[in-house]
Amino acid sequence: MSGVPDGGARDERDVAATVELAEGEPAAGSPAANDPQGDRQRFVLDDTGFDEVPKKYRRFYRKWKGAGDRLAPNEVICPVCKVVIRSSRTLLPGDRVYCMPCMSRLVVTRNEATGDLEALVAY
Amino acid sequence: MSDVHDLEPQAFLEEVHSFEFWFQAVEGYLSGTTWGHRPDAIESPMSAEDRDRLITVLCNYCVGEAAALEGASGLIVIAPNRLAKVFLATQVADEGRHLEVFYHRMRDLGVSDPEREVERRASGSLQTFRRRLLELVASKDWEAAIFAQNVILESLEFAVFQDHAREADPVTAEVLRGVVKDERRHIGFGENELGRRVASAPHIRARLGQIKKELDHLVLEALEETNLLLGLPRDEHERLGRIYLESVARLGFAT
Repeated sequence: MSGVPDGGARDERDVAATVELAEGEPAAGSPAANDPQGDRQRFVLDDTGFDEVPKKYRRFYRKWKGAGDRLAPNEVICPVCKVVIRSSRTLLPGDRVYCMPCMSRLVVTRNEATGDLEALVAY
Repeated sequence: MSDVHDLEPQAFLEEVHSFEFWFQAVEGYLSGTTWGHRPDAIESPMSAEDRDRLITVLCNYCVGEAAALEGASGLIVIAPNRLAKVFLATQVADEGRHLEVFYHRMRDLGVSDPEREVERRASGSLQTFRRRLLELVASKDWEAAIFAQNVILESLEFAVFQDHAREADPVTAEVLRGVVKDERRHIGFGENELGRRVASAPHIRARLGQIKKELDHLVLEALEETNLLLGLPRDEHERLGRIYLESVARLGFAT
């Protein structure tokens, strides 16, 4: 996928499926629950070496590399701890995501001025 | 379920506040380290002046970490629920480790009695902050103490340690990077715990505003002292100040 930063997500169609976390339906508000028809692009997430959460969760996070880094459509920055949060689906405003490194629950929004996706802490 | 974001909010909180989560998280970045850095990390040459400044900075870090260690352990008793108690237990372990690795780093730098050196060199502002934090803990004021410790103090440390790690000698930088990884959990816990409480009981906001007013100048003075010791340029001082103030601004406190 072009425009994806080094170590970022790849299109799921190009690679094999990843490990399952647990059984169960996606909770309300999650990107999966907000995509009932499965229309959004799916991504397989590689482990980028982020080591601040248990192994099974590492692929959902990566470090922000600073100027020159770019967010993929399935990524958003945590405003609390500045880690990049990754989803297996394209993110859209209204999605609820979790930042495990700082234990925050976040809601994705679109910055009206820049058009970029942002995350706001949902207390 | 194939995505962590599919979890129910309560299941997420149970997971991230567990000792199991903490243990597997720290294992990821501390395994193989000794005193917070790889055993084969190479010391770089340092002038006597730089070494002396670094020791003073580490003395200040020790005051902050000691305050957080004593504060977090005291807060377990008044924590409002099991998850908060378990999380604070993990924070106590983190803070104890931070204190230990900073003391050890001072010994590496030739300080024979780090405790005495901390008493002699540490910032008066930070020592006053520590005293005030422990008064809030002793008064069993959960919101005020968490605000002072996990929002104000931890935000300051998070900002300063990250910046210092970029400029520090290789060994100190490794120690700091490990500490920053722990601090992410601490600032997140504080902001989320207080955010939930302020949302459900807005009257808390006024009291926390008073605490912020009282403690802000101590934190900003300590930040300024540390910045000068680290030799950071003026614009960097301002950037660090902004990072510190961002978290309290997200909680709705005017900066």
